[in-house]
Amino acid sequence: MKVPHHTLRREIHGVPVFLEQSVALPLVTVTVARRGGATLDPGGNEGASRLLSRLSRRTAGGREFQAIEEELDRLGASLGSDVSYSSIALSGATIARSVEPFVALVADAAGRPSLDPNEFERLRRETRAEIVEGLDNDRALAHRALRRVLYPNHPYSRTASGTLSSIERVAYPALLQHDELTRRRDNLVLGMSGDIDEDAALRLAEQIISAVPETPSETNVLEDPTIPPGRRLVIVDKPDRAQTQILIGLDGAKSSDPDHTALHVAMTVFGGTFSSRLMQQIRVERGWSYGAYATLPIDQCRQSLTLWTFPSKDDAAACIRLKLELLEALVERGITARELAFARKSLIRSHAFSIDTASKRLGLALDTSLMNLPDDYYDGYERRVAAVTLDDTAAALRQRIDPTKLVIAVVGSAKELEPQLRAAVPDIQSVEVIPFDSPDL
Amino acid sequence: MAADHRPVHRGTVDFGPSLKIERFVYPNGLTLLCCEDHSAKVLSFHTWIRVGSRHERPGKTGLAHLFEHLMFGETKNVGPGEYDHRLEEAGAETNASTWLDFTQFTVNAPASALPLVIELESERMQHLALTEKQVSTEKDVVANERRYRVDDDIEGAISEMLWSAAFTKHSYHWPTIGWMPDIQGFCPEDCATFYRTYYAPNNATLVVVGDFKLATLVERVGKNYALIPSSVLPIEDVEPEPPQLSERRLEIDKPTPTEKLVLGYRAPALGDNDHIALGVLAEVLSGGRPSRLLRRLVHELEIAADARMLVGPFRDPSLIEVSITARGDHHAEELLQVLDEEFDRIRSTPPSAEEIERALNRIELGLLAGLDAVDGKASTIGFYETLLGRPAAAFERLEAMQQCTASDLLRVARRFLQPESRTVIFVRRTPEATGEQNTVST
Repeated sequence: MKVPHHTLRREIHGVPVFLEQSVALPLVTVTVARRGGATLDPGGNEGASRLLSRLSRRTAGGREFQAIEEELDRLGASLGSDVSYSSIALSGATIARSVEPFVALVADAAGRPSLDPNEFERLRRETRAEIVEGLDNDRALAHRALRRVLYPNHPYSRTASGTLSSIERVAYPALLQHDELTRRRDNLVLGMSGDIDEDAALRLAEQIISAVPETPSETNVLEDPTIPPGRRLVIVDKPDRAQTQILIGLDGAKSSDPDHTALHVAMTVFGGTFSSRLMQQIRVERGWSYGAYATLPIDQCRQSLTLWTFPSKDDAAACIRLKLELLEALVERGITARELAFARKSLIRSHAFSIDTASKRLGLALDTSLMNLPDDYYDGYERRVAAVTLDDTAAALRQRIDPTKLVIAVVGSAKELEPQLRAAVPDIQSVEVIPFDSPDL
Repeated sequence: MAADHRPVHRGTVDFGPSLKIERFVYPNGLTLLCCEDHSAKVLSFHTWIRVGSRHERPGKTGLAHLFEHLMFGETKNVGPGEYDHRLEEAGAETNASTWLDFTQFTVNAPASALPLVIELESERMQHLALTEKQVSTEKDVVANERRYRVDDDIEGAISEMLWSAAFTKHSYHWPTIGWMPDIQGFCPEDCATFYRTYYAPNNATLVVVGDFKLATLVERVGKNYALIPSSVLPIEDVEPEPPQLSERRLEIDKPTPTEKLVLGYRAPALGDNDHIALGVLAEVLSGGRPSRLLRRLVHELEIAADARMLVGPFRDPSLIEVSITARGDHHAEELLQVLDEEFDRIRSTPPSAEEIERALNRIELGLLAGLDAVDGKASTIGFYETLLGRPAAAFERLEAMQQCTASDLLRVARRFLQPESRTVIFVRRTPEATGEQNTVST
């Protein structure tokens, strides 16, 4: 099945503008994104890009923070700031009747923030409190620990929100410098979706773009990260846990890898559906974990393949051991013809849910531009999946997945878990224990 | 003799500015609500069963939720794992949820998969196989889910504590997921009895939203569901909760870096007219940064990281839950003092016209944003149909909210934000969670 794309692409002052029209609901979404996200944080100052983006939103056009919030509520609008590895985006939605004043506010946030230093200090305090609050989220803790150990010395080791200690290190003058370097017109990508016509959208896009300085950007080239050899274990030590959170990270793939689609299909078989090997073996057969998943995200550079389960502390060691055995069997013997046929059909047919709303279609168009994906990355998705063969998946698994080179991140009581995990998981090269409330996590 | 599968058309209602809901009722009592939306080649097929944890009894808590899990197992004509496998192969995704008043099953599928969806959904409503192995494994999975969502989750654990303290008679006392010993004690017979009683067409509503032809859908549902017999539904044995005459206070230690304050005030049932005004009042108090609680606690005093207020959307009177997370070393008592000041203020001075306007715009935006995809529309229709018998009630409530006056808000503030009838939980930090620690490597 092929649903035609309706995304309009235009350029204003060299800035790509995407528009997805839909009159289904009286809503309009607006996204103003800048290329380069958390990976552009100055060394040791992780979280700086997110602080800057939020500060821009909170000081749009020199307004007071509370005045902005009140204005948004009056309009029936929301505006958030999202920072990923590849982009920084101001994204929001408004009831269609308020689109003009909403875009004026967005333009002020994107192009004319006052970056008031007092508001910066307030934001820093709030961010600190949010990071502390996040210590209650065990999965997020596992994710932070995994990235830190998986990719030492690469920007992918960072978290967009920063750590307690890195947030403290962000100095206001350095933040202004970061703004100067990144708030450039040629960095922008714009998108709108919903109940707005083309003329109005382009006129409003022009309003946003012309608010952003024209100075050319510096080019930043990010190298792919490398994972050090060996199996490394990191335990986030947290008391009184009945259950663990376990993430296993390995080298993954990027969209320009010729075997990326084949690996994506193989990982769908391994941990991408309820019928997958991981889910069947860990949840259905053994009842160990409510969920068992494998994810293979894409980004500018090669991202990690991640396996996620959350068994009780008593099943944690056996669960990790089983996952590694299943992974080794996958690499050694590949997937079956029946599994391949299933995965291809499932992925091709479910693609309908990636493009079923205007806001989702806009999201794909923006991703394509921000992550420098091939133009046909999403339009050609079904064709590429359909072309994957068993040989392709076998070759991709052998080429990309190395079960001897990985990081296992576990949240739980280190005293209880460490001896069990050392005994159960073969070839552990190193163990690191990080307190869950470490200021560097 | 072939069963009569022709339904009666029971009316059409508008659903928002451009969609309509058609209601059909089949001879065996099954209700079908159809909402054609041809904006994409997809559909959402929901099955809402009017059974939730409110229908359980002490010693057998969590059965409705366990049953939600079991519904994904084998049936007479569909082998183990086949349900998910066939739907996933068709490009569909499935999900389910159980709450106090209902259990709900979702299949989001490409439009072309409609015949398969109807075949499999009707099959599991009539032919579920409840084997010893299936029940045993699923009990383990639910126990794991309980550890994940309650035992190791601060919010889950505190919410469970709040409801069990606030309700002493009513079945809202126990958690939907059930107490751990009850989960571990279920046998296949418990499940079979529950299935025969509640999983019947006269206790269910199908909601289908998306790209389909109405006549084909109605015909196919009839053919597949017509032979399922209706059941004699038991009289609901729910005790009303007696009035709470004095405040209840509890304290708990948790491995959390900051103190928390959680309160439950008495809330009216979803169908009570005052529930509508309370929804607006909650938005005035805690909806977004300019709201009274966030402005005071987070922005001005900087003693809280977050504050939320939710009016329980349930069939019977329930709770207005207020959750506040302290910042740094601030104590829950400080949060309570400010909360009391703000609630005193709202009970004495009504919100301004501007505060009400902002709250209403936020509510309207939230409703529209939730209806972007077919699944959101089906959820909204199914929820209000199951709770109120009015599938388009989301829009009716929005209209009613837009008629609310400052007097309405003042009245509900005085009626429901009563300290005498609230339950308060102070969450303290366990000593291990407060000390500075260093990274250890080996």
